[in-house]
Amino acid sequence: MGCRMLRPAAVVLMFGILVGVQPRMLDAADRREIASRIRFFESQIRPLLLAKCVGCHGSKKQAGGLRLDSRTNLIKGGESGPAIVVGRPDASRLMAAVRESDPELRMPRNGKLTARQVEQLGRWIKSGAVFPVQAGRDRILRDPNHWSFHSLRSPKLPGVKNRNWPRTPIDRFILARLDAEGIAPAADVDRRAWLRRVTFDLVGLPPSPEQLAAFLGDRTPGARSRVVERLLASPRYGERWGRHWLDVARYADSNGFDENVAHGRAWRYRDYVVESFNSDKPFDRFVTEQLAGDLMAWKGQRQRNEHLTATGFLSIGPKVLAETDQAKMRMDIIDEQIDTVGRALMGLTLGCARCHDHKFDPIATSEYYALAGIFKSTLTMRKYTKVAEWHEHLLPSPEATAMKQVYDQKVAAAKRDVEQARASAREAVRKRLDQDRSADKSDKELEKRFSPEEMARIKKLANVVAALKKAGPNLPAAMGVTEDKITDVKVHLRGDPQTLGDVVRRGVPAVLRGPPAPRIAEKTSGRLALARWLTDPRHPLTARVMANRVWRWHFGRGLVVSTDNFGLLGERPTHPGLLDWLSVRLIRDGWSIKRLHRLIVLSRTYGLSSHANAAAVQQDPDNRWLGRGRVRRIEAEAIRDALLAVGGQLDGTMTGSLLKLKNRAYFFDHTSKDLTTYDSHRRSIYLPVVRNHVYDMFQLLDFPDPAVTTGDRTSTVVASQALMMLNSKLVMAAADGLARRLQSEADGIDGRISRMYLVVYGRPPTAGERQADRRLLAELADGNGTPSKGGSVNEAELPLAAWAGLCHVVLASNEFMYLR
Amino acid sequence: MRKRVQYGADAKGRAVNEYTSRRRMLQRTAVGFGSLALHGLLSRDGQARGPLAARSSLVPARAKRIIFLLMSGGPSQVDTFDRKPLLDRDHGKPLPFAKPRVQFNATKNLLRSPWRFRQHGESGLWVSELFPRLATRVDDLCMVHSCYGTNPAHGGAMMKLHTGTDRFIRPSIGSWLSYGLGTENENLPAFVTICPTLAFGGVNNWSSSFLPAVHNGTAIGDASVPSARARVKYIKNSRWSLATQRLQLERLKRLNEAYLDRTGSEAALEARINSFELAFRMQSSIPEIEDLSGETAATMKLYGMDNKVTENFGRMCLMARRFAEEGVRFIQVTHNDDKVQWDQHANLKRDHEKNAREVDLPIAGLLTDLKQRGMLEDTLIWWGSEFGRTPTAETGDGRDHNPEGFTMWLAGGGVKGGFRYGETDDYGYYAAVDKVHIHDFHATLLHALGLDHEQLTYRHAGRDFRLTDVEGNVVHDVFA
Repeated sequence: MGCRMLRPAAVVLMFGILVGVQPRMLDAADRREIASRIRFFESQIRPLLLAKCVGCHGSKKQAGGLRLDSRTNLIKGGESGPAIVVGRPDASRLMAAVRESDPELRMPRNGKLTARQVEQLGRWIKSGAVFPVQAGRDRILRDPNHWSFHSLRSPKLPGVKNRNWPRTPIDRFILARLDAEGIAPAADVDRRAWLRRVTFDLVGLPPSPEQLAAFLGDRTPGARSRVVERLLASPRYGERWGRHWLDVARYADSNGFDENVAHGRAWRYRDYVVESFNSDKPFDRFVTEQLAGDLMAWKGQRQRNEHLTATGFLSIGPKVLAETDQAKMRMDIIDEQIDTVGRALMGLTLGCARCHDHKFDPIATSEYYALAGIFKSTLTMRKYTKVAEWHEHLLPSPEATAMKQVYDQKVAAAKRDVEQARASAREAVRKRLDQDRSADKSDKELEKRFSPEEMARIKKLANVVAALKKAGPNLPAAMGVTEDKITDVKVHLRGDPQTLGDVVRRGVPAVLRGPPAPRIAEKTSGRLALARWLTDPRHPLTARVMANRVWRWHFGRGLVVSTDNFGLLGERPTHPGLLDWLSVRLIRDGWSIKRLHRLIVLSRTYGLSSHANAAAVQQDPDNRWLGRGRVRRIEAEAIRDALLAVGGQLDGTMTGSLLKLKNRAYFFDHTSKDLTTYDSHRRSIYLPVVRNHVYDMFQLLDFPDPAVTTGDRTSTVVASQALMMLNSKLVMAAADGLARRLQSEADGIDGRISRMYLVVYGRPPTAGERQADRRLLAELADGNGTPSKGGSVNEAELPLAAWAGLCHVVLASNEFMYLR
Repeated sequence: MRKRVQYGADAKGRAVNEYTSRRRMLQRTAVGFGSLALHGLLSRDGQARGPLAARSSLVPARAKRIIFLLMSGGPSQVDTFDRKPLLDRDHGKPLPFAKPRVQFNATKNLLRSPWRFRQHGESGLWVSELFPRLATRVDDLCMVHSCYGTNPAHGGAMMKLHTGTDRFIRPSIGSWLSYGLGTENENLPAFVTICPTLAFGGVNNWSSSFLPAVHNGTAIGDASVPSARARVKYIKNSRWSLATQRLQLERLKRLNEAYLDRTGSEAALEARINSFELAFRMQSSIPEIEDLSGETAATMKLYGMDNKVTENFGRMCLMARRFAEEGVRFIQVTHNDDKVQWDQHANLKRDHEKNAREVDLPIAGLLTDLKQRGMLEDTLIWWGSEFGRTPTAETGDGRDHNPEGFTMWLAGGGVKGGFRYGETDDYGYYAAVDKVHIHDFHATLLHALGLDHEQLTYRHAGRDFRLTDVEGNVVHDVFA
């Protein structure tokens, strides 16, 4: 606060903000700085002035002719002169008064300020005494006219200078902006790099040498389109794009938080997501199923099960399962659901309104509790006592029925065994009592006379029954939600379940214009109505947020950079027209995501080279205007999958769980022993996602925190990643696999080196690279790493380990992990 | 629009966007641990906008680093440092005031401490018989008796203790320090945690969360392995010698440089080339610190390395000193066995005694050693746990979790020695006088390192985050 100087223009504009002018011309950093100062004022200074000063120096009373209720009045001052000198606390009478340095001037009368309050007041004056007028504050900070709350427009395609350049409508928007900025677009990227880019992008794997050869050999029109169709039709596509959605859905196979127990059945939701992408399920339907699948009409049990599984979206969030305050636990779970729905589907941080009206977006606390009513009327948990347990849907099917039958038979048989043991024991007792005519030979009496051995035998068999019952039939089931007792919720003052305000009717935030507010019937939670409202084509956010997500996943950066925040603190779109055009197309194309992919990846913009001329780089260092391709690292999963693929180890099995724990079992007991292994060779999406303990290779490579919605993964470079690339079993094994593969697929040192470059990079080696590689092979062949004397290498003398050593280098390189 | 960007060219004449690449180095692709150096670069070209740049310390730093001794599970304050004569007198009677609305387990009547307290040192602070060795260093200790938190379960309380929240995944305090101060040693991370427990928040307790990944804590082993076998993951290659790896790295470097020629200048790619060099150096520097063979017999004895009971924790404390010497900012040492070490719901007498025996001598040894080496002045020792225990009985001689009032202590790093701050009530249940919430404690720790907890912020998901959220008051009285 106050350390960073604002440039003069920003200061002028800051006053613009104070009187309600749109801060369009401010750059993001200035906006943030101003927002930070306003925040400081609103949180610390305004409440202080209201509590301590305005009672006597405000609109009702003006002691000493002084008002302390606006910036102007503070500067104007009262009978004794100005109250503040902006930027100079020591010259401000207000400071003298609160410091009580002058015995004549001691304020406030109703209790001295604390040292901290005095310091803050000084800091505020020093940093410009920002004091937004109340109305202005509401207009800007809670601006209901914020761009993303407006309905979608259908923008006309903009005109461009070079009409030959654009290949698709997208290119028109991009080029028009580049024209305006005076930036010339980069050249098209070469065909090899394009294929690599689009293949990683759509299926998360490198193109094989055969796919590369086929594409390079196809010079007919539509060659690119055919590649795209092949990729979109591959089941690998759903695994790639399903994983993107799982980032948004904060998917995990464990609860995380305090009680890190296994989500033993979450994988069904994951498989549902993969299948939904592969079948190009319309996005509106996809959303509706996830919010209210249990309430949708269905045809056949299969579809019903799919709908129930989809509601796992609301259930897989992290929960404080050992929360001893059950009322709080319940509201915390609801909060997590509201927050996820807000961020994932609308790009809004609704969770902020739990304790107070949203500070920046026009979302009132009462509106938060209107949503909370919907989720409180929804059953997520089957028990709230610690350790709490989530609800699961049974998924009936012929297989399930058969499983149940087998189980019932087992239980019945085990019970029979117990009964038989009892009967034979009774018989034995009866025999022992044969001579004793007076003895009571009722079953009850006989059982009292069982010998310890007979008792033990019966106990052992009874234990079998108990164990079977405890384990249960383990029928197919999925995490998910259903309807609970329907209720509206009272406002929780400051978020506290113990201090309640007025009841709020279930509903949605009013600021989002377009679709009419949903009508929630008395006897329903309102989830289905919420889903219908969200997927109404008139909703301003749902299509925009998803179109932007898809763009982000293709380009590595969203048109709105803050993919999960379209509110006032989010970034503005770089290409608002394009975003709306894409959103409208998404809806018109029946919410088909695959159609959106085609539009994007066949555009000219998508196929630009990352190598631009120096002038363009200077003018647009961050590549906001998309005049060139973006160099970017592939994600953790793609790195692992590509390592397995080039090493010839990838197992393409789809669906099912790799979790070794039982449902609801703890990942870590107090011993900290890790029972989860990641040595499967299946694609990364099938590896367990353990909250609090994400697979370390993924964690190192910026796998997102699976406890929260993430639409914009980061891509860091740290030394611990390099250690992993140098020394992990995963990379060493991939190098070994690649070395073996080269031996079987090519002959001779040169042949194998060529094959290596083709498999790993999708290109032939240069002469220099070939030479350097031969040299390294020779050095590695020595075993101790000391260069061998002769220099020239005999192929037969090259052990596999030397090849593995070279492959390791190639796999650790940037070219393998980055797209250009 | 003002141009905030400065341009230059690299040796090959390629256009280089300095601002972008440096800012990215910090925000997204920060390589290595040389954040201080980057800080310098940022200031030099007048770009006082990076996340580190605006945070020159406003308060003078008293300490340069923290060693956090975490007693996992919750040692009982009324049996260790917070003497309560009335608890002794009223043993077996009901607690004369209400228990908290939310408790972890139900407890019964008051339970007196099975240990006697004595006054020690010139300061005359009270310490129970559990810590005879530590008692000899009592004049170095600054007891904070009035700590309190909000969460009575291990998981939530541990996360609160490490990250300031039990509701979200947020950066750990060590990550905040790394972010705020950088490191003094470019070959080492700024934040290491020795044998941490993987339960109760697990890696979230040392994660950088939304802060750049370079601020992540580096775990050395975990609680499932003895400290003698604790290693940083991937620190050693199972096949190649360092000399061979050097050859591979040379080839790798050439490949990466050639790729850079094809893409044009790109901060991440350049950073990645350097990251391999740093990784290579770490392969030597970390094992050097873990290798205790250069320590004298006297030092080994000081930490209890000659005794089976104290050897494991003693090694951790000794390693902590060695990391401290090398300039690591935040070093955490966790005392956690295959149960939750200090979690005595029952068998308080037996198990608290066992636990205290394991740590008493090594901690005293660490304090002595640091003092001898003149390091105690700028090293802040923090002893504590996620909560304390109830003065009322649970099962037999057991006590339940109690976040309402408990003791943590500080030593060195500019705090007053032989000093006590705050009080609990007559029975040691609730913090009563000069209460210190976890947020306050965090604010105070940051203050000791010269950081203002209100200014140490990071923008994420549309708002500025702090370790102390919107709370926290520095406890100025603990500083000398």
